[in-house]
Amino acid sequence: MRVKVFALSTCPYCRMSRQFLDENGVAYDVVEVDKLEDDDKQTAIAEVKSLSGGTSFPVIVVGDEVVVGYNKVRIKELLGL
Amino acid sequence: MSAPETGAPGAPPRRRFPEGTTAEDLKAYMGPFVERLGYKFNTDGEFVAMVLEGELEVLATTGDVYCPCRMRTGDPKEDVKIICPCIPFFRDEFAGMRKCWCGLFIRADVEDGAALMGVIAEPEGPIEVPVARVDDMRDGEARRVKVGKTALAVFRVDGEFFALSDVCRHAFAPLSEGWLDGHAVMCPWHGWRYDVRDGTTDHPDADVRTYPVTVRDGEVLVTV
Ligand code: SF4
Ligand code: FES
Repeated sequence: MRVKVFALSTCPYCRMSRQFLDENGVAYDVVEVDKLEDDDKQTAIAEVKSLSGGTSFPVIVVGDEVVVGYNKVRIKELLGL
Repeated sequence: MSAPETGAPGAPPRRRFPEGTTAEDLKAYMGPFVERLGYKFNTDGEFVAMVLEGELEVLATTGDVYCPCRMRTGDPKEDVKIICPCIPFFRDEFAGMRKCWCGLFIRADVEDGAALMGVIAEPEGPIEVPVARVDDMRDGEARRVKVGKTALAVFRVDGEFFALSDVCRHAFAPLSEGWLDGHAVMCPWHGWRYDVRDGTTDHPDADVRTYPVTVRDGEVLVTV
Protein backbone atom coordinates (compact mmCIF):
# COMPACT_ATOMS: atom_id res chain seq x y z
CA MET A 1 0.00 0.00 0.00
CA ARG A 2 1.34 3.41 -0.92
CA VAL A 3 1.88 5.65 2.08
CA LYS A 4 2.62 9.34 1.80
CA VAL A 5 3.15 11.81 4.61
CA PHE A 6 2.67 15.54 4.18
CA ALA A 7 4.56 17.15 7.04
CA LEU A 8 5.99 20.36 8.39
CA SER A 9 9.55 20.31 9.67
CA THR A 10 8.42 22.11 12.84
CA CYS A 11 5.51 19.88 13.77
CA PRO A 12 5.79 17.35 16.63
CA TYR A 13 2.93 15.13 15.48
CA CYS A 14 4.61 14.89 12.09
CA ARG A 15 7.79 13.72 13.73
CA MET A 16 5.92 11.24 15.91
CA SER A 17 3.96 9.86 12.97
CA ARG A 18 7.11 9.29 10.97
CA GLN A 19 8.80 7.68 13.91
CA PHE A 20 5.82 5.39 14.32
CA LEU A 21 5.95 4.36 10.67
CA ASP A 22 9.72 3.83 10.88
CA GLU A 23 9.40 1.69 13.97
CA ASN A 24 6.84 -0.46 12.23
CA GLY A 25 8.96 -0.85 9.10
CA VAL A 26 6.46 0.95 6.88
CA ALA A 27 7.94 2.47 3.74
CA TYR A 28 6.57 5.90 2.87
CA ASP A 29 7.20 9.06 0.92
CA VAL A 30 7.41 12.29 2.82
CA VAL A 31 6.89 15.87 1.68
CA GLU A 32 8.10 18.57 4.06
CA VAL A 33 5.83 21.29 2.81
CA ASP A 34 7.49 24.19 4.64
CA LYS A 35 10.84 23.30 3.10
CA LEU A 36 9.57 23.54 -0.46
CA GLU A 37 9.98 26.66 -2.56
CA ASP A 38 7.51 28.77 -4.53
CA ASP A 39 5.43 26.75 -6.98
CA ASP A 40 6.23 23.40 -5.42
CA LYS A 41 5.08 24.73 -2.08
CA GLN A 42 1.82 26.12 -3.47
CA THR A 43 1.12 22.86 -5.27
CA ALA A 44 1.74 20.86 -2.10
CA ILE A 45 -0.48 23.18 -0.02
CA ALA A 46 -3.25 22.86 -2.59
CA GLU A 47 -2.90 19.07 -2.46
CA VAL A 48 -3.05 19.06 1.35
CA LYS A 49 -6.15 21.26 1.27
CA SER A 50 -7.95 19.06 -1.21
CA LEU A 51 -7.02 15.91 0.71
CA SER A 52 -7.82 17.11 4.20
CA GLY A 53 -9.98 20.19 3.83
CA GLY A 54 -7.50 22.25 5.84
CA THR A 55 -3.85 23.02 6.40
CA SER A 56 -3.21 21.15 9.61
CA PHE A 57 -0.42 18.62 9.66
CA PRO A 58 0.45 15.81 9.33
CA VAL A 59 -1.74 14.58 6.51
CA ILE A 60 -1.07 10.89 5.96
CA VAL A 61 -2.31 9.15 2.85
CA VAL A 62 -2.68 5.39 3.13
CA GLY A 63 -3.90 3.92 -0.15
CA ASP A 64 -7.03 5.99 -0.82
CA GLU A 65 -7.63 6.91 2.80
CA VAL A 66 -6.56 10.16 4.41
CA VAL A 67 -5.62 10.53 8.07
CA VAL A 68 -5.24 14.00 9.52
CA GLY A 69 -3.07 14.28 12.63
CA TYR A 70 -1.17 11.66 14.57
CA ASN A 71 -4.12 9.32 14.83
CA LYS A 72 -2.27 6.16 15.78
CA VAL A 73 -5.40 4.05 16.09
CA ARG A 74 -6.57 4.90 12.60
CA ILE A 75 -3.11 4.50 11.05
CA LYS A 76 -2.73 1.07 12.63
CA GLU A 77 -6.15 0.06 11.38
CA LEU A 78 -5.42 1.13 7.83
CA LEU A 79 -2.03 -0.57 7.75
CA GLY A 80 -3.28 -3.69 9.50
CA LEU A 81 -0.70 -3.36 12.27
CA MET B 1 19.61 41.14 12.98
CA SER B 2 17.27 40.28 10.12
CA ALA B 3 14.16 42.42 9.78
CA PRO B 4 10.84 40.58 9.64
CA GLU B 5 8.70 41.27 6.60
CA THR B 6 5.59 42.32 8.56
CA GLY B 7 4.29 45.86 9.08
CA ALA B 8 4.10 48.92 6.89
CA PRO B 9 7.19 49.84 4.91
CA GLY B 10 9.55 51.83 7.06
CA ALA B 11 7.64 51.09 10.24
CA PRO B 12 9.69 49.58 13.03
CA PRO B 13 9.09 45.85 13.21
CA ARG B 14 6.62 44.81 15.86
CA ARG B 15 8.28 41.99 17.71
CA ARG B 16 7.01 40.61 20.95
CA PHE B 17 9.70 38.02 20.93
CA PRO B 18 13.10 39.43 19.97
CA GLU B 19 16.08 37.41 18.89
CA GLY B 20 17.34 35.20 21.67
CA THR B 21 13.82 34.36 22.89
CA THR B 22 13.84 31.00 24.67
CA ALA B 23 11.25 28.33 25.30
CA GLU B 24 11.08 29.54 28.88
CA ASP B 25 10.23 33.06 27.66
CA LEU B 26 7.39 31.69 25.56
CA LYS B 27 6.10 29.66 28.48
CA ALA B 28 6.14 32.65 30.79
CA TYR B 29 4.26 34.75 28.24
CA MET B 30 1.64 32.17 27.30
CA GLY B 31 0.99 30.51 30.65
CA PRO B 32 -1.12 33.24 32.28
CA PHE B 33 -3.04 33.81 29.03
CA VAL B 34 -4.10 30.21 28.45
CA GLU B 35 -5.05 29.94 32.10
CA ARG B 36 -7.68 32.63 31.44
CA LEU B 37 -9.01 30.45 28.65
CA GLY B 38 -9.32 27.33 30.78
CA TYR B 39 -6.16 25.64 29.54
CA LYS B 40 -2.69 24.74 30.79
CA PHE B 41 0.54 23.43 29.34
CA ASN B 42 0.56 19.73 28.54
CA THR B 43 1.66 17.68 31.53
CA ASP B 44 4.17 15.91 29.29
CA GLY B 45 7.12 18.26 29.66
CA GLU B 46 9.25 16.61 27.00
CA PHE B 47 6.47 17.02 24.49
CA VAL B 48 6.00 20.67 25.45
CA ALA B 49 9.71 21.24 24.87
CA MET B 50 9.40 19.69 21.42
CA VAL B 51 6.45 21.89 20.38
CA LEU B 52 8.12 25.04 21.67
CA GLU B 53 11.28 24.15 19.79
CA GLY B 54 9.17 24.03 16.64
CA GLU B 55 7.63 27.41 17.50
CA LEU B 56 11.06 28.97 17.99
CA GLU B 57 12.03 27.75 14.53
CA VAL B 58 8.89 29.32 13.08
CA LEU B 59 9.60 32.50 15.04
CA ALA B 60 13.08 32.70 13.58
CA THR B 61 11.83 32.43 10.01
CA THR B 62 8.57 34.43 10.21
CA GLY B 63 8.95 36.86 13.12
CA ASP B 64 6.03 35.49 15.13
CA VAL B 65 5.01 32.29 16.89
CA TYR B 66 2.73 30.76 14.29
CA CYS B 67 1.48 27.28 15.00
CA PRO B 68 4.22 24.76 14.20
CA CYS B 69 1.63 22.23 13.01
CA ARG B 70 -0.26 24.35 10.54
CA MET B 71 0.68 26.14 7.36
CA ARG B 72 0.36 29.88 7.02
CA THR B 73 -1.78 30.94 4.08
CA GLY B 74 -0.05 34.26 3.42
CA ASP B 75 -3.33 36.10 4.11
CA PRO B 76 -2.70 38.08 7.33
CA LYS B 77 -6.40 37.99 8.30
CA GLU B 78 -6.36 34.21 8.24
CA ASP B 79 -2.90 33.74 9.65
CA VAL B 80 -3.63 35.85 12.71
CA LYS B 81 -5.82 32.95 13.85
CA ILE B 82 -2.91 30.55 14.05
CA ILE B 83 -0.58 32.61 16.18
CA CYS B 84 0.05 30.59 19.31
CA PRO B 85 -1.94 30.25 21.55
CA CYS B 86 -4.78 30.06 19.04
CA ILE B 87 -7.37 28.76 21.52
CA PRO B 88 -9.85 31.70 21.20
CA PHE B 89 -10.27 30.94 17.50
CA PHE B 90 -10.88 27.23 17.96
CA ARG B 91 -12.73 27.09 21.25
CA ASP B 92 -15.23 24.48 20.14
CA GLU B 93 -12.81 22.16 18.39
CA PHE B 94 -10.27 22.25 21.19
CA ALA B 95 -12.89 21.90 23.92
CA GLY B 96 -14.08 18.74 22.18
CA MET B 97 -10.56 17.29 21.87
CA ARG B 98 -9.66 18.59 25.35
CA LYS B 99 -6.43 19.89 23.88
CA CYS B 100 -5.18 22.24 21.21
CA TRP B 101 -4.36 20.89 17.80
CA CYS B 102 -0.64 20.39 18.50
CA GLY B 103 -1.20 19.24 22.07
CA LEU B 104 0.89 22.02 23.55
CA PHE B 105 -2.07 22.98 25.71
CA ILE B 106 -4.62 20.76 27.39
CA ARG B 107 -7.79 21.69 29.21
CA ALA B 108 -7.28 22.65 32.81
CA ASP B 109 -9.25 19.61 34.00
CA VAL B 110 -7.15 17.04 32.11
CA GLU B 111 -4.75 15.17 34.38
CA ASP B 112 -2.71 13.14 31.92
CA GLY B 113 -1.86 15.05 28.77
CA ALA B 114 0.17 12.18 27.33
CA ALA B 115 -2.96 10.02 27.22
CA LEU B 116 -4.58 12.51 24.84
CA MET B 117 -1.80 12.24 22.30
CA GLY B 118 -3.05 11.45 18.87
CA VAL B 119 -6.63 12.39 19.68
CA ILE B 120 -7.78 14.57 16.84
CA ALA B 121 -11.44 13.80 16.33
CA GLU B 122 -14.10 15.91 17.94
CA PRO B 123 -16.65 13.94 19.90
CA GLU B 124 -20.18 14.04 18.54
CA GLY B 125 -22.90 16.07 20.17
CA PRO B 126 -22.88 19.02 22.55
CA ILE B 127 -19.60 20.05 24.18
CA GLU B 128 -18.81 22.06 27.25
CA VAL B 129 -16.63 25.01 26.32
CA PRO B 130 -14.74 27.09 28.91
CA VAL B 131 -15.70 30.73 28.36
CA ALA B 132 -14.52 32.57 31.47
CA ARG B 133 -13.26 32.13 34.99
CA VAL B 134 -15.64 32.92 37.79
CA ASP B 135 -13.19 35.44 39.27
CA ASP B 136 -12.66 37.22 35.97
CA MET B 137 -16.23 38.54 35.81
CA ARG B 138 -18.04 40.73 38.30
CA ASP B 139 -21.76 40.90 38.91
CA GLY B 140 -23.45 42.98 36.25
CA GLU B 141 -20.68 42.27 33.77
CA ALA B 142 -21.14 40.91 30.26
CA ARG B 143 -18.72 39.34 27.87
CA ARG B 144 -18.86 38.34 24.22
CA VAL B 145 -17.31 34.96 23.46
CA LYS B 146 -17.09 33.37 20.05
CA VAL B 147 -17.43 29.61 20.01
CA GLY B 148 -16.91 28.40 16.47
CA LYS B 149 -19.40 30.39 14.42
CA THR B 150 -21.64 31.13 17.40
CA ALA B 151 -21.38 34.46 19.23
CA LEU B 152 -22.38 34.16 22.86
CA ALA B 153 -23.18 36.85 25.40
CA VAL B 154 -22.17 35.66 28.86
CA PHE B 155 -23.63 37.56 31.84
CA ARG B 156 -23.01 37.42 35.55
CA VAL B 157 -25.95 38.39 37.78
CA ASP B 158 -25.87 37.87 41.57
CA GLY B 159 -23.01 35.39 41.28
CA GLU B 160 -24.85 33.32 38.67
CA PHE B 161 -23.86 32.98 35.02
CA PHE B 162 -26.06 33.01 31.93
CA ALA B 163 -25.28 32.54 28.26
CA LEU B 164 -27.39 33.63 25.33
CA SER B 165 -27.00 34.29 21.68
CA ASP B 166 -25.23 37.61 21.31
CA VAL B 167 -27.41 38.69 18.42
CA CYS B 168 -30.44 40.84 19.11
CA ARG B 169 -33.44 39.67 17.09
CA HIS B 170 -34.41 43.23 16.18
CA ALA B 171 -31.47 44.50 14.14
CA PHE B 172 -28.68 42.16 15.25
CA ALA B 173 -26.90 44.33 17.83
CA PRO B 174 -24.51 42.57 20.22
CA LEU B 175 -26.40 42.08 23.50
CA SER B 176 -23.10 41.75 25.35
CA GLU B 177 -22.73 45.50 24.86
CA GLY B 178 -26.09 46.24 26.44
CA TRP B 179 -26.94 47.11 30.06
CA LEU B 180 -28.16 44.83 32.77
CA ASP B 181 -31.14 45.77 34.89
CA GLY B 182 -31.60 42.88 37.27
CA HIS B 183 -32.01 39.84 35.04
CA ALA B 184 -32.93 41.93 32.01
CA VAL B 185 -30.43 43.02 29.42
CA MET B 186 -31.28 46.11 27.41
CA CYS B 187 -30.09 45.97 23.83
CA PRO B 188 -27.58 48.76 23.15
CA TRP B 189 -29.26 49.82 19.92
CA HIS B 190 -33.01 50.21 20.55
CA GLY B 191 -33.47 49.03 24.08
CA TRP B 192 -35.32 45.76 23.59
CA ARG B 193 -35.17 43.82 26.82
CA TYR B 194 -34.32 40.16 27.13
CA ASP B 195 -34.41 38.03 30.25
CA VAL B 196 -30.94 36.51 30.53
CA ARG B 197 -32.38 33.45 32.30
CA ASP B 198 -34.49 32.21 29.40
CA GLY B 199 -33.87 34.58 26.48
CA THR B 200 -37.46 35.79 26.42
CA THR B 201 -38.43 39.25 25.28
CA ASP B 202 -41.72 41.15 25.18
CA HIS B 203 -41.71 41.25 21.39
CA PRO B 204 -43.54 38.37 19.77
CA ASP B 205 -41.40 35.62 18.24
CA ALA B 206 -38.18 37.39 19.04
CA ASP B 207 -36.72 35.36 21.91
CA VAL B 208 -33.01 34.60 21.71
CA ARG B 209 -31.47 31.21 22.23
CA THR B 210 -29.97 30.41 25.63
CA TYR B 211 -27.22 27.92 26.38
CA PRO B 212 -26.76 25.79 29.49
CA VAL B 213 -24.06 27.06 31.83
CA THR B 214 -22.10 24.98 34.34
CA VAL B 215 -19.65 26.30 36.90
CA ARG B 216 -16.91 23.85 37.87
CA ASP B 217 -13.58 24.37 39.62
CA GLY B 218 -13.85 28.13 39.23
CA GLU B 219 -14.55 27.93 35.51
CA VAL B 220 -17.63 28.92 33.59
CA LEU B 221 -18.52 26.31 30.96
CA VAL B 222 -21.15 26.76 28.29
CA THR B 223 -22.66 23.79 26.50
CA VAL B 224 -22.99 24.47 22.77
S1 SF4 C 1 -2.70 24.46 18.10
FE1 SF4 C 1 -1.68 24.69 20.07
S2 SF4 C 1 0.48 24.92 19.57
FE2 SF4 C 1 -0.68 25.32 17.70
S3 SF4 C 1 -1.00 27.54 17.74
FE3 SF4 C 1 -2.78 26.62 18.66
S4 SF4 C 1 -2.34 26.66 20.82
FE4 SF4 C 1 -0.39 26.96 19.79
S1 FES D 1 -31.00 45.82 17.55
FE1 FES D 1 -31.58 45.28 19.52
S2 FES D 1 -33.23 46.57 19.94
FE2 FES D 1 -32.73 47.06 17.91
